[in-house]
Amino acid sequence: MSAPAASSDVILSAEGLVKHFGGGRQLFTGRAPLIRAVDGVTFDVRRGETFAIVGESGCGKSTLARLILRLIEPTEGTVRFDGADITAIGEEDMRRLRREMQMIFQDPFSSLNPRMTVGALIAEPLAVHGLASGRERALRVADILRKVGLPPEHAERYPHEFSGGQRQRIGIARALATGPRLVIGDEPVSALDVSIRAQVINLLEDLKAELGLTLILVAHDLAVIRHTSDRIAVMYLGEIVELAERDALFEAPLHPYTRSLIAAIPVPVPGLRGDRQLLEGDPPSPAAPPPGCRFHTRCPYAEAVCKAERPILRAMAAGHTVACHLAERLPPAPPAVAAAPATAAKRRRLALFAGADPNSVSLTP
Amino acid sequence: MESGVSAPTGDVLAVEDLTIRFDGHGVDLVDGASFRLGRGETLCLVGESGCGKSITALAVMGLLASPPARITRGRALFQGEDLLSMPNARLADLRGNRLAMIFQEPMTSLNPAFRIGDQIAEAVVRHHGVSQQEGRARALDVLRRVRIPAAEKRLDAYPHQLSGGMRQRVMIAMALVNRPDLLIADEPTTALDVTIQAQILALIAELQREAGMAMILVTHDLGVVAEVADRVAVMYAGRFVETGPVEAIFADPQHPYTLGLIGSLPSLGKREGRLATIAGSVPPPQRFPAGCRFATRCPFADSRCAAEVPPLVEIGTPGHRVACFKAPLEAHVGGLAA
Repeated sequence: MSAPAASSDVILSAEGLVKHFGGGRQLFTGRAPLIRAVDGVTFDVRRGETFAIVGESGCGKSTLARLILRLIEPTEGTVRFDGADITAIGEEDMRRLRREMQMIFQDPFSSLNPRMTVGALIAEPLAVHGLASGRERALRVADILRKVGLPPEHAERYPHEFSGGQRQRIGIARALATGPRLVIGDEPVSALDVSIRAQVINLLEDLKAELGLTLILVAHDLAVIRHTSDRIAVMYLGEIVELAERDALFEAPLHPYTRSLIAAIPVPVPGLRGDRQLLEGDPPSPAAPPPGCRFHTRCPYAEAVCKAERPILRAMAAGHTVACHLAERLPPAPPAVAAAPATAAKRRRLALFAGADPNSVSLTP
Repeated sequence: MESGVSAPTGDVLAVEDLTIRFDGHGVDLVDGASFRLGRGETLCLVGESGCGKSITALAVMGLLASPPARITRGRALFQGEDLLSMPNARLADLRGNRLAMIFQEPMTSLNPAFRIGDQIAEAVVRHHGVSQQEGRARALDVLRRVRIPAAEKRLDAYPHQLSGGMRQRVMIAMALVNRPDLLIADEPTTALDVTIQAQILALIAELQREAGMAMILVTHDLGVVAEVADRVAVMYAGRFVETGPVEAIFADPQHPYTLGLIGSLPSLGKREGRLATIAGSVPPPQRFPAGCRFATRCPFADSRCAAEVPPLVEIGTPGHRVACFKAPLEAHVGGLAA
């Protein structure tokens, strides 16, 4: 569990969240396998922070994001938003609440209706929530477009007329239309090219500061996460295995899985390639998670206790929790990779480039 | 056009002035790409979507559909033979044998209707005329080499029964079973999780060390480039804008586009403020600028950049070339810094 925070500082808290899929009767084949996508997850998100949920494919991070918004119903557990249990309220109340919590999806191509203009796409949430009509609605749409760095005239165009980065800006505009306080981004930049990715990351950070948002980012790219997040939860096979402040997690990762994730990031420094401990094999299926610690089948340090007992998330330092039986006894994490200092000429050129950067917003599609 | 990237000795591949035009476009989508590749070497083609890196790779493999693609100039000498003018039958003998390619999405190379053991064995039987049994034995061997667990059982699996990482390994196994001299890999790990990506890259490196296989790796991920490249060619809108040894590209980047790519990477250390960004996005081909194609997005461009194509010329360390009138930047645009 995260460090105790006064309840007014917590905007969202998840407790004992479980989501199982399948397990029902199937025609011909007997029972469908029970997929334990999310299996007992507890955490608090503080007001105004950027909270990241990281992990590899199949770890349950996207399911968790959908549970938080109650886009799917949990098998067990509760989600509280501003202290109110949103898993217990009726559909009408939930719809009202969704104004406050919105989602940005990974794929800006499939999350926008190709037959609606950008203006209509952004006005739709306003109409659904009865927030503005007529001329006022048009003004709101123009205002939101400007906020995400698109000229208001683009309201007349269709999604196919835009590049990937601009479509993601439209996705963000749509999420912000209702004036939410919590925004969840499910891999919001992973489908974008590197230079566009940086534009969208900067935009999200600016909007967060300007509008006082709380952000939950679901992602697999640790470099992006390190750049944007305040606190990070690492998931493996449906469970949180480590939760810590950003620098603590990257500089002193405790869980062997977190360490291998960090070690696997390709470092953009040619001299640093080579010797590192690589994880062997694939993660096991969430339909048949290993007993005990779910990571024990791939963990280089696993002992008998790891195969028998499921470790619980416990605090090892203020704000740093880990689910590992051996946390006290593991060798220290290898020192974080440090890039060689850039030459004066390179620093100067990068500064020239950044300084000359005309506010990074494209005004033409 | 000058040769972009030069290898010291014994070229496996020498591409000269490769120029590709698509019907209906009045502009070259790849314009004068030249590079050489020696035994065991890795060249990374880097750039964003639409920069022409995949088209370059496909052209070398003879896999560009023509029409609409037309190779209007250039040669690609593979061990002395020109891949671009070679009869199809000869190309078919080389492909999957001395010359292999892997893609981002493994299902583009795997046939969903056949067992993976048979698909891999087919490549051996087709090129080496061995028995089906011998083909299967080699398939088993190569599946073990790419560390497929329970390889014996997997021989009889269909592609859909495997995870993404496993399929990628099967595709690599299929590409490598005949021990090619040149592997062209187009974003082979982009769809994979980082831990699986690290495994696959380590595996390819090991096979390169053992067999001296040369590799062209197409990627947009500068982390991967730093990890595996010997030499790098940065492409923008169909042209090489900067080429050279990997150390030079990272330690002494010259082209504004390369600077933008490096500056837009989130640092792995302590946070260092906002990310640099490159304004806008790659223009569609019909709107490629007449001079330097990066001119419309470059903060330093002037009227000369808009009108003239900058040649790729050597700068700094031997083999490091850049196509920019303003390089080195600090000597040309110092006044803007304040």
